[in-house]
Amino acid sequence: MTDPARSHDATSPRPDEDRQAFAEASESLWRITFGPALWALHFAGSYGVAAIWCAKVAAKGQDIAPLRLGFAVVTLAVLAAIGWLGWRSWRQWDYLGDRDYENAGANHEDRHQFLGHAAFLLSIVSFVGVVYTGLPVVFVQACR
Amino acid sequence: MHGGAERDVMAVMPVACMPQTNRQTAAACRRAAGCLAMLALLGACEGRQAVLNPAGQDAAVIARLFLGMLTGAVILWLLVAGLFLYVTVFRVSHMPRRWAESLIVGGGVLFPTFVLAGLLSYSLPLMSSQRTGGDGLVVHVRGEQWWWRVTYETPQGNRAVSANEVRLPAGRRTEFRLTADKVIHSFWIPALGGKTDMIPGRETVMTLEPAETGLFRGQCAEFCGASHALMAFEVETMAPDLFDEWLRHAASDAVPPATEAARRGAGIFAAEGCGACHTVRGTPALGRVGPDLTHVGSRHSIGAALLPVTAADLALWVGRTGHLKPDVEMPQYDHLLPDALLDLGRYLEGLK
Repeated sequence: MTDPARSHDATSPRPDEDRQAFAEASESLWRITFGPALWALHFAGSYGVAAIWCAKVAAKGQDIAPLRLGFAVVTLAVLAAIGWLGWRSWRQWDYLGDRDYENAGANHEDRHQFLGHAAFLLSIVSFVGVVYTGLPVVFVQACR
Repeated sequence: MHGGAERDVMAVMPVACMPQTNRQTAAACRRAAGCLAMLALLGACEGRQAVLNPAGQDAAVIARLFLGMLTGAVILWLLVAGLFLYVTVFRVSHMPRRWAESLIVGGGVLFPTFVLAGLLSYSLPLMSSQRTGGDGLVVHVRGEQWWWRVTYETPQGNRAVSANEVRLPAGRRTEFRLTADKVIHSFWIPALGGKTDMIPGRETVMTLEPAETGLFRGQCAEFCGASHALMAFEVETMAPDLFDEWLRHAASDAVPPATEAARRGAGIFAAEGCGACHTVRGTPALGRVGPDLTHVGSRHSIGAALLPVTAADLALWVGRTGHLKPDVEMPQYDHLLPDALLDLGRYLEGLK
């Protein structure tokens, strides 16, 4: 549990500070979905684009090198985006600041850090997922 | 060669039930289920339909991958079980929180992530090696219910139609173009390589490079109806020059019946209208519904690896088709007298 002396409940916050904290929490609630959403888009996009390219373009004897290059670029961009999200959420969790991995309190700070913690873990899962989705592009050299 | 219908029925059940006679095997299977399971494991290591007894480049790659995965899995299992025993039996004590967390993050997250990435990086390149192009010969195989329509096509454009048997030159890579008639089948010669689906309206491509000559067995590996288990085929890998010679023969017309009985059989074949469904090249029989019978007598089996090719077995097949292969499209000619069936069998047997 968090130290009550640190939580906002112990003091009496002003209403506008409350509103700001709520807006922030709501924003980071959205943000925890970004990592998995990027992973999902990358996954569905990879399969869809590969299927269409192989059926419409490569079937006519075209090389799939542009497809693999495109995949590589998009995959690296998505990994960078997820990495950035992960970094942000790691800062938000602030683990090194207070060595606190239980954020169960019903107060602004715990909510703030908990959402950071969840987003950080989801970013890691999404990062690994995108790497695994991207590996076939490196190794599979033809449509069949 | 093999012993009969029941034996082949057994062959698609656990592989362990293949050797010895049926009655012995059946008795052994009844005696102990545990024994059967063990025999099944051992049986999978040898025989002509065995993944772990590769006779081709592609099967060797798959067998290596499997053994590598199995070894890794056994090592990991021993490690995890050993660790579990260590902390629950041999050294039961309080574990500092930091250790426990490192174990979970390290052993539960980081280690599997890197192991899986390694396995993926190792196995993915194998996929493209399984799809390298052929050396020229193309074998078109169409999955029917429940048999295989096989057409050989040489680089020169010569074609030879056959059925229920695949012959391949050893040491050369042959391309397979696979499709299906009504339902999905799967083309699989375990000793030579992986399986590939045969899909109606689509053409799937695979290549196989047998490394040695021999007789092997293929099996439909996708449930396709009542007689799915009886949809198998013989595979013979041959020295390239013998194969070329065989292929020239396979493209030729049928030999005329040589004996009096065979001539009577040919008459029955024509009178019963067999030619409406079957082709015997060089005769008026030009049907394309059922298997091409031009050289049926030189095949290793009839009925899609169901029976050996003897006059008696051919007579049995024609007279009791539906008994031998449930739901088969071919009507059984049980109105023919045994002598007539045997004559027909002699004619077909003579179609070398």
